Amino acid sequence: MADLLTHLLVPYILLTIASGGVGWLDQRWIVVGMGGAAIPDLVKVEIVVHEETVEALLGIPFTYKPLSTLGGVLLLSGIIAVAFERRHWRRVFGLVTFGGLTSLLLDGMRVYADGRASAWLYPFTSWRPPTPSLYVSSDPTVLVVALFAAGTVAVIDRRIQAGN
Amino acid sequence: MHVWVRVVIVLALFLTLGGLFVHAEVTEEKWSPYPDAADLSAEYDSYVGQRVMVFGTVTAISEDRIEIKAESDGTTVPLGVTGASTAAEPGGVVQVYGTLEPEQTIAAERVEVINSSRWVEFYKYGASAVGALGFLLLFFRHWRIDRDTWTLEARDG
Repeated sequence: MADLLTHLLVPYILLTIASGGVGWLDQRWIVVGMGGAAIPDLVKVEIVVHEETVEALLGIPFTYKPLSTLGGVLLLSGIIAVAFERRHWRRVFGLVTFGGLTSLLLDGMRVYADGRASAWLYPFTSWRPPTPSLYVSSDPTVLVVALFAAGTVAVIDRRIQAGN
Repeated sequence: MHVWVRVVIVLALFLTLGGLFVHAEVTEEKWSPYPDAADLSAEYDSYVGQRVMVFGTVTAISEDRIEIKAESDGTTVPLGVTGASTAAEPGGVVQVYGTLEPEQTIAAERVEVINSSRWVEFYKYGASAVGALGFLLLFFRHWRIDRDTWTLEARDG
């Protein structure tokens, strides 16, 4: 997968552009959407607590993989939404899910040797979407492009804000 | 909204997520069509002749063969990859797609570099750490935890 910084920058770019046409979408809501982009990266909790350790403790088969899938994103978006005030639940859920989807889509576009991304639409379908094989996750170009785009969007956004 | 209502909702969602963690592993073959390192280690011969895709750390490179170590669920399998070259160095990670042959060998159709060397892993973790820290700073500049209701509140109302 792409690194966490790249994942966070993608919804920042898209939501900042969208904020031009959506009145309530200000900085604090954009940040909430960015948080969703981190959900698929939670699969890296594996580094802290190995799957085998959990399996040994619980005595049942176990994998963190659903965190990097649509099912995991929807469930965690729900959990995150509930942490906010009741009147914001719908909005937070939508934004966080959006952020998570951008990460899943970006990761689904990286190189797979057999030309098919992982089944990230789990548990809804086992279909593995074809990947355009745009990049490998260790390629710094991905981060450089994301940083450049985010910087450009931030500067334009600031100009527009100052003009209002 | 009572705190306990939210606790119940969160618990229900976490339990469902926990259910997926188990379900995904039990039904693993449905989601990933290829045998993993643990499968290959357990019954290698039954997969000979099949298409496989494995991730592995490069251990050695010779003229016509790349030696890799594939790993899953704590099981490691050494494999030799023939029919392809790679730009990765030992310590790097590659993805191999090909046909499984006898004696721990894969006749590769495609080899893709995931990490060209072991240092690339540090770059990714570095960028991710910067991302995590930056996000937390940014998030708590706009939001704070209300200790009375245990909800996240906008700082500027």
